[in-house]
Amino acid sequence: MTGGERLDYVVGEEKNLRELLLDSDVLPLLRGALKAGAGCARLLDEEGDELWGATAPEGRGALLARIPLLLEGEPVARLELHGETGLKERLQPVAALLCVALDTVLKNNLKRVLTTEIHTSVVNSSHEELLRINAELSKSEARYRELAENLEARVKERTAELRRAQARMLQQEKMAAVGQLAAGVAHEINNPLGFITSNLHTLQKYVARFCVMLQFYRDHLDLDLPRQIIMAEADQKWRELKLTQVVADVGDLMSQSLTGAERVTRIVADLKGFSHVDEAGESPVDLNQELERTLGVLSHLLSGRAELVKELQPLPTVTCQGQLPGQIFLNLIQNALTHAGEAPRITLSSCFDGERIRISIADNGKGIPSPLRSQIFEPFFTTLPVGSGTGMGLAVAWEGVLKLGGTIAVADAPGGGADFIITIPVRKE
Amino acid sequence: MIEYNETERRMVLKLVYYGPALSGKTTNLLQLHEQLARQGRGELMVLDTTGDRTIYFDLLPFFLTAPSGLKIKVKVYTVPGQVCHDATRKAVLQRADGIAFIADSNPGEAQSNFASFDNLERNLVLVGLDIDSTPLVIQFNKRDLPDAVPEQELRNIWGPTGIPVVMASAINGAGVPETFETLAGLVYDRIDARFRLLAEHGLERERFLRQLTTLSEEEA
Repeated sequence: MTGGERLDYVVGEEKNLRELLLDSDVLPLLRGALKAGAGCARLLDEEGDELWGATAPEGRGALLARIPLLLEGEPVARLELHGETGLKERLQPVAALLCVALDTVLKNNLKRVLTTEIHTSVVNSSHEELLRINAELSKSEARYRELAENLEARVKERTAELRRAQARMLQQEKMAAVGQLAAGVAHEINNPLGFITSNLHTLQKYVARFCVMLQFYRDHLDLDLPRQIIMAEADQKWRELKLTQVVADVGDLMSQSLTGAERVTRIVADLKGFSHVDEAGESPVDLNQELERTLGVLSHLLSGRAELVKELQPLPTVTCQGQLPGQIFLNLIQNALTHAGEAPRITLSSCFDGERIRISIADNGKGIPSPLRSQIFEPFFTTLPVGSGTGMGLAVAWEGVLKLGGTIAVADAPGGGADFIITIPVRKE
Repeated sequence: MIEYNETERRMVLKLVYYGPALSGKTTNLLQLHEQLARQGRGELMVLDTTGDRTIYFDLLPFFLTAPSGLKIKVKVYTVPGQVCHDATRKAVLQRADGIAFIADSNPGEAQSNFASFDNLERNLVLVGLDIDSTPLVIQFNKRDLPDAVPEQELRNIWGPTGIPVVMASAINGAGVPETFETLAGLVYDRIDARFRLLAEHGLERERFLRQLTTLSEEEA
């Protein structure tokens, strides 16, 4: 036990008589003896010094009784009673009575002191224990608080990490979409290129025959033969070279090839427009035009396979990064194609109400059950079998619309299917 | 932790009766008070109780004087046995010079005996006493119980520890003075050399024990 100002009680420490008896305990008893006729009543310690005493005005008289007073079995004092010798018979019992009374007071006081000591000691140690427990609790509370704070920081760290990973995934998805697009477009260009090449081969052969025919004329003109003979031989050669059919075919071949070349030109133009490769930064964009371009680069998926319904109204331009709308539309139309019904029909509509542009891309599939609607825009969410879809398409669209400052929502299309509605506020310049 | 005052020529020894609740610690003191001679023995001080259960402690003081004039006070305390009064037990145990552990012979109390002894060991450490050098006597009380744990079994368990074991039936007074005498003897042995009780104060072991444990009928 250490403690600056606190009393350090030790239970049962030795006490002397002065500590245990007060004047107010002893003196009334001694005075009582005087009233009973004693000349003097006093308590002396073991050395014979007076501790308490009371003497009558008339004088002390002779010593009539001396009785030892015990404290815990040890003689610590003696009671002496004086008086007139004649009163000895009466005063001796008074002395005995006085001693019993003092003994009782002493015993009770000792008991009280001991009780106080033990009580104080227990209270003090309990208090110390409580202080110690309190200190420990404060310490552990601080530890938990620190832990909780660290936890928050760690959660933040992990969340940021997750966000970064998600952003990377979105970027990858965009790259993958570009790859798919490239493959589709390559196919689209390959077709016309195929028949253009084939036509050129045929034309090459035809040109060779024309050359043979021309050479024939040149040779025969030099021979100076009669015109009849030349005509006959020329007809013969013409037939040999099947030039009648060739001449009839050449026109078709040429126009077909030109059409094919024009198609390639258009595709390249669409792709260029879609990708906005020539533009850096933001520029005014017509969303209807972007929709058309997207349809253009997706023509290999659409033509002959899906019915397209377009209800496009004129729109004000939106200032944004050029390739952004294409990215959004591409993902939404691909999504619509994936989920459309047996006979796919995609309805595209756009309108402007003076404040907001509203673009809707609806399919005729099964639609989206309302419990899933809050999840479909989350990255990696997909209803397709594992390996069929990345679950990133709609997330890319969501992110794109967010960059345009708009919102995207999904509703039921009339007659079933899902209707993705993009709303973009137009700032008045 | 003997209190020794050379100039006053006084020595105070503190003996503590420890043990589980209701094992008979207060009964031991009551019997000592009853059986031992009035000479040199103080009154038994029973501090306030609740429903006859000790909540603070009991105190039975003895006083004797060595031939040299050295005054020796021996104070015998009980602790409250109930688990909840541990702070009081620790306070009473401070500066103890010897311990009588009063165990219960009721087989159902074996666990309480063990828990209390464990508590004694821990509290001794807390108050800075060494259990190996502090005089210790174990009393198995309530031998009068019909299903008391057999003596041989107890001696087999405690014999190897070297701690003296006394069988007692405190309610009938049996074994009570013996326990006290054994403990007082151990305490004498422990302090004799250091305080030269025999050499300087002429206090023989026999005389020390006789003064403390003279029975009332012998006195008469």
